[in-house]
Amino acid sequence: MKRRVISTLAVLLALLPFVGPAAIAADLTDVGFFDQSAVASLPAFVSANQQVAQYKAQLETQFANAMRGARSDADKQRVTLQYQQEFQDKQNEVMGPLFQRAQAAIASAMASKKLSIVVDKRIVIYGGQDITSDVVGMVRSSAAITPPQATPPPSQIGFVDQSALANSQEVKTASDQLQKFQSTQQPIYQARFKDAKTDVDKRQVMADYNKAIQDKQNELLKPLIDQTRNATASVARSKNLLLVIDRADVVFGGTDITQDVQNALNK
Amino acid sequence: MSKMRSINRLYPDKAKALRSRVPLALLALSLTIAVFGCSRVDVHSDKVRGVAYVRVDEVIKHHPLYPQLAQLNDAIDAINFEASMPHAPLTPAQIAQQSKDLNAQLQAAQNKANAILASKQQLYAQQEHDADVAAVKAAGVDPNAAGIGQVMNATSAQQAQQAAAAAQQGYIDYQKGVIAQDQAAINAIARQLQAAANDKLRARSEQYQQAESNLALRLAQEDSGQRMALQTQLNTLALTTDQRKSLATQLHALDVKEANAENALRAADAQALATYQKQIGEQTMTQIRQQQAAIQSQTGAKLTQRRDQVGAQLRGLGAPPVATVKLPPDLRKRLGQIHQQYAAKFQADAQQAIEEYQATKSDLDAQFAALHGQGVSATGAAAIKLRDLQKRQAQLQSQIQDQIQREAVRLAKEMGFSLVLDNVQVANGGYDLTNDLIHDLESQHE
Repeated sequence: MKRRVISTLAVLLALLPFVGPAAIAADLTDVGFFDQSAVASLPAFVSANQQVAQYKAQLETQFANAMRGARSDADKQRVTLQYQQEFQDKQNEVMGPLFQRAQAAIASAMASKKLSIVVDKRIVIYGGQDITSDVVGMVRSSAAITPPQATPPPSQIGFVDQSALANSQEVKTASDQLQKFQSTQQPIYQARFKDAKTDVDKRQVMADYNKAIQDKQNELLKPLIDQTRNATASVARSKNLLLVIDRADVVFGGTDITQDVQNALNK
Repeated sequence: MSKMRSINRLYPDKAKALRSRVPLALLALSLTIAVFGCSRVDVHSDKVRGVAYVRVDEVIKHHPLYPQLAQLNDAIDAINFEASMPHAPLTPAQIAQQSKDLNAQLQAAQNKANAILASKQQLYAQQEHDADVAAVKAAGVDPNAAGIGQVMNATSAQQAQQAAAAAQQGYIDYQKGVIAQDQAAINAIARQLQAAANDKLRARSEQYQQAESNLALRLAQEDSGQRMALQTQLNTLALTTDQRKSLATQLHALDVKEANAENALRAADAQALATYQKQIGEQTMTQIRQQQAAIQSQTGAKLTQRRDQVGAQLRGLGAPPVATVKLPPDLRKRLGQIHQQYAAKFQADAQQAIEEYQATKSDLDAQFAALHGQGVSATGAAAIKLRDLQKRQAQLQSQIQDQIQREAVRLAKEMGFSLVLDNVQVANGGYDLTNDLIHDLESQHE
């Protein structure tokens, strides 16, 4: 009897590392990924891109002529904005319907596979559910795509729009300062580079230059980067998110915490 | 199991003792598995949930091949850094001469590529013809009697048509390229001339300003004695109102006299400067128009010459002959295979010639841009070195990343992860696989 109890206990203990954790929490299986280049190479997208490129080339000639006629900086700015807007409008007109169709296909594939987020294939090293062929199939078919009514379920993977965070006045000021520093240092090191006699000397000048820029970057931008990272981590904790990725790597879904991070930074 | 049963039968005492020890040993083993199994990483815990992430940039830095990659990056940086250095501005004449040289080099590169294509086309057409004749003879058919020559001609004609289309496209590309380059040359020369005119105008304006300052100083010095006397008298308290008024009027008269003299000179200078500006503007415009006319004339000549060359090439190709003889199906199939084989060879060689031409053109375009003050990319020998370094850098980077990817997948499978991501900004959970991966890679290369 005693032996049987010990044996049973031993078997249970041996199985603990394999069975125990599974009972605690389920693995994250609602993450999909999508290869955006697969859609970009579809004939409809290639043709639309060519159309936009042709329009851009045509617009560039007109833009160059208009800029020659611009007398003041204000005129130049106005002309630039006008042509940017024209290009944007054309891009929306040509590419917009295709993007909408692709988005609807992604949303539909997501819903059918019960995914909470679809990320760009480039950031997936292993695992995840590949929805590329489903989406390409839907986009290629002539059938209408009805996007799902419900929004994706909440995801344990959050994202922040790094470009929006980089638009803060503090980051801009620091970036401008770094830019100025770089433009003052460059001629100094270029002169040293010119005087350097051997490849070893040249490499040393380059190393010194890179170090000077890196040090300045650490001085100006690193505190802001750390501050943003801490704020993001704090929001991630409060929202019980597992990981936070960049907005640029998210194709659909996910939990957007950009505003929360901005609020935390503004406190 | 059967072995255990044999022991039971043969050695009952030993078997009993062994039975009593087995559960204890099993318990000890289980405890070891439980303790060590849980201590590595609890992949399926609430905090990890089967998710891991890798800081690939960090892993790359620890890869055994990273020093080589860093060296390549440094060498690329050095070339780009050198290329971004400011160069002494060139005169319009130098720009025009160098543009001419670059265009000549481009023309030479195009001619070389065309010559290679023509020679390869001829070579493969001959080889294909010989292979066809051999195939026809092997099939027991007389090539001449079967009119195989016409079939050959038709095949060659197909290649000739392709060459004609390529030549036509080449001409269109050349036309676009020449017009764009010449327009850039005109713009650059106009900018240089305009800048020179502005410099002259600024110098003249400064000269006038200096003369005006000198006059103001001279007048002030001339009147200083009288002005000081008047001001000294004005500072005397015992003055009547009329006396004070008279002194103030005299002082004011001095101011007015000086101001009038300065204003007169200023007005004269402004007039002279406007005349000079008009004159210099006309001179500049004349120079720009002359340069423009010269470049446009060169453009026209270049295009005409090229058009004539292409026209001659196209006329030389003649009309495609029509095949009149029917051959047995097997033989036709074999001839088709031979054609495919030589067409593929020609395509491969043509592709190589075109790539070489494109590389030369790209370098010449960069030199052209640098000549006109645009772009800061390396040119000439530096550009060739840069391209080579960039190619090697891309290959090495890809090799390193592929290995990291393979090892990360292997580790993820071994450790039981269901998802591994890169480029994670912040982790509140999941498992950081970076150090395991670094250790793994380092141990493989020890």
